[in-house]
Amino acid sequence: MQTAIKQNSFKDKANQAFGISIEDARISKSYLSVAFIALLLGGLLGLLQGLNRAGVLTLPSWANYYQILTAHGLLLVVVLSAFFTIGYFYAGLSHTLGGLLPKVRKMAWIGFWMKIFGFVLVVIPVLMNEASVMYTFYPPMAAHPVFYFGLVFIVLGIWMLSAGAFTQVANWRKNHKGEHLPILSFFATGVFVLLVGATAFVAVEVIFMIIPWTLGWVDGINVMLSRTLFWAFGHTAVNIWYLTAVSAWYVVIPKVIGGNRWNDHLTRMVVIPLVIMNITGGFHHQIVDPGISEGIKYMHVFMSLAIGFPSLMTAYAMFRVFERTARRKGGKGLLGWFKKMPWGDVRFLAPFIAMAAFIPAGAGGIVQSTNQLDQVVHNTMWVVGHFHLTLGMSVVMTFFGISYWLVPYLSKRVLTPAMNKLGVIQTVIWTLGMVIMAISMHIVGLFGSPRRTSFTTYGDFAETLGWNPYMAAVGIGATLLLIAVILQVYAVFNLMFFAPKGVTEFPIADTEPGEAKTPYWTERWGIWVVLMILVISMAYVIPIVDMIVNAPPGSPPFKTW
Amino acid sequence: MSQFISGLVLLIVLMIPPVARLMESVMIIHMHMQMPLLVIAGYFMARLFMDRFPSFFEKYNQNGLPGILLFTIIMVYWMLPRTMDEALTVQTVEAFKFISLPFLAGVPLRDSWKKLSKVGRNNLITLFTVMFLGFGWLYIQSNSQLCNNYLVIDQIILGWGFITMAISMVIYLVYSLIVDPSKYE
Ligand code: HEM
Ligand SMILES: [Cu+2]
Repeated sequence: MQTAIKQNSFKDKANQAFGISIEDARISKSYLSVAFIALLLGGLLGLLQGLNRAGVLTLPSWANYYQILTAHGLLLVVVLSAFFTIGYFYAGLSHTLGGLLPKVRKMAWIGFWMKIFGFVLVVIPVLMNEASVMYTFYPPMAAHPVFYFGLVFIVLGIWMLSAGAFTQVANWRKNHKGEHLPILSFFATGVFVLLVGATAFVAVEVIFMIIPWTLGWVDGINVMLSRTLFWAFGHTAVNIWYLTAVSAWYVVIPKVIGGNRWNDHLTRMVVIPLVIMNITGGFHHQIVDPGISEGIKYMHVFMSLAIGFPSLMTAYAMFRVFERTARRKGGKGLLGWFKKMPWGDVRFLAPFIAMAAFIPAGAGGIVQSTNQLDQVVHNTMWVVGHFHLTLGMSVVMTFFGISYWLVPYLSKRVLTPAMNKLGVIQTVIWTLGMVIMAISMHIVGLFGSPRRTSFTTYGDFAETLGWNPYMAAVGIGATLLLIAVILQVYAVFNLMFFAPKGVTEFPIADTEPGEAKTPYWTERWGIWVVLMILVISMAYVIPIVDMIVNAPPGSPPFKTW
Repeated sequence: MSQFISGLVLLIVLMIPPVARLMESVMIIHMHMQMPLLVIAGYFMARLFMDRFPSFFEKYNQNGLPGILLFTIIMVYWMLPRTMDEALTVQTVEAFKFISLPFLAGVPLRDSWKKLSKVGRNNLITLFTVMFLGFGWLYIQSNSQLCNNYLVIDQIILGWGFITMAISMVIYLVYSLIVDPSKYE
């Protein structure tokens, strides 16, 4: 045993000194490549949508708006986010846990190809305009069955990757008895637990409800139930991307600015409740749905806002870390420390703007969780503005910031000053584009402009013509965004294949010296999972049994496009 | 002392009539939220009694089994449809609920739990898993209304609540069977 531990810590050290092994790097590089190709395609489609809604672009007869919207949603919110998250955390697991085990590597590749295969199956019917059901695929709209088979393979791939991550973590813990899981791997564990939990719901929806129904084995589908299962997944998925970004805020950013990270115990205490209470938040997407009693909706406002608490803790922690670091560097006065931050470093600038964007984004989220306010904005462009702030800024800009060190770390190259400058420019353009687009979407949404609606003048009705200037602004924002997308994708592939060779470190901040030891019970993942399941059953048993027992006759499939 | 006070505050809040009425208006919340919270209130308050009267617990609950027996009897009593119904219609029964669950279930649970071995604890959880499956089945398949105060749909929901709780406990038991913490800690 003693020698095993020695060997292991030798391997840990070697890993830290020589960087990631080629095989591990290849896995993460593949995931990141897919992610950024998805960004390029999705961004292009986003531009088409923006220009269409601005009224300056009529789509060709062979493409329909809803088909493009389906692809945009899937490429960005399913492919980009998931592939980035997995690539990033697998690199993190490899770095902090002494290299991936051979069998974990194998699992990562199997998962990769399952996801790709699934995605191809999804894309074919979308391209053929047989699946313009948008990324939410709400029944009774029905796509071609192949679309759903593809989804099943994507879920299976995710389970394979989660199993790989759990295997890696369990093995490390066996060899490091009594030690705390390194913080980045702790985040990774939480993320993969949530991925399994979230996809379990959508798997039930797709396998047991939708597939038999689109194949014609059953006549009708329970629409409410399928929406509920979808949002248990959809909501959690988005929160997983957010938790991934948060992991970089806590662990990586403090190192980039040359400081220490936030208290280890409290950091873990942010992750644990986010895992336990996350899935039940799904109901806040159904505030306007019929068939759910008011009492249940009321209860779920609390459930949603409970997740707000760890988010507020995060905001506090970040500013505390920034201030402490900058003061150490000589920043003075109430806000003088602000000047000491490394604004010219894209690895800091992009995630910082991401965090700042979360302030209005979070406020908008609270608006949408409030029943009466949500009645005003539900299904309007406001909501689209909201998730371009949360995802398009908070999450994706953090991912961009990460890419400027993660990609060179993987390819054993360096971020040159010129490339850093390009990154800063990219960040500024993206920020401008998103701010213009999101603000106009919020405003025009308040005026009532619906989301998921291709350009129309509503028969030149005066009231709705007033929306057009805002929609033009959306088009302008979209154009800026596409420029930023191209710069970003260029930067990623340049760093992956052409930048000068060299050593880039994986930035992981240390804790403050002299911090009290984190209690060991934070490592009891088995307990957290059981608690998570208990919370889920508390939240879902009442409405789901009600939806099944009191179900109306099921709906036949419809093709609305 | 602070634990006792938080337990007491919880108990008082649960007793406030509008709170009690709200929780009792939904069958599953009555049984799976209000009642466990009452037990938890007692669990917190137990600290004070254990500090004040150590010899009492030492004498009557030496190995923890009497306490667990009392806890189980009280819990089973309140899982019966008849008793829930009566709590809503007969004031004294309602009062008995607010006394028995904290003081005759929560307090002995705390004193006994730490005296039980790991096997003892898991046996208790197994017992409750089996009971929950049984009660779940009872409430789900019963076509007739078991309580005057609750509808059949409320019963079915409660039944599924039992089943999902049982599933959670099974997962916990499997986890503690196959994962040996000494390998990791
Ligand atoms: C290149 C930058 C982007 C542009 C120009 C853009 C533009 C748009 C537009 C115009 C819509 C359609 C609104 C509607 O008709 O309802 C939309 C929808 C959407 N966008 Fe983006 N977007 C961009 C980036 C992103 C990113 C980075 C994400 C997420 C990571 C994202 C996720 C979504 C989602 C989930 C929808 C909703 C699809 C639906 O309603 O089914 N977008 N976007
Ligand atoms: Cu949500």
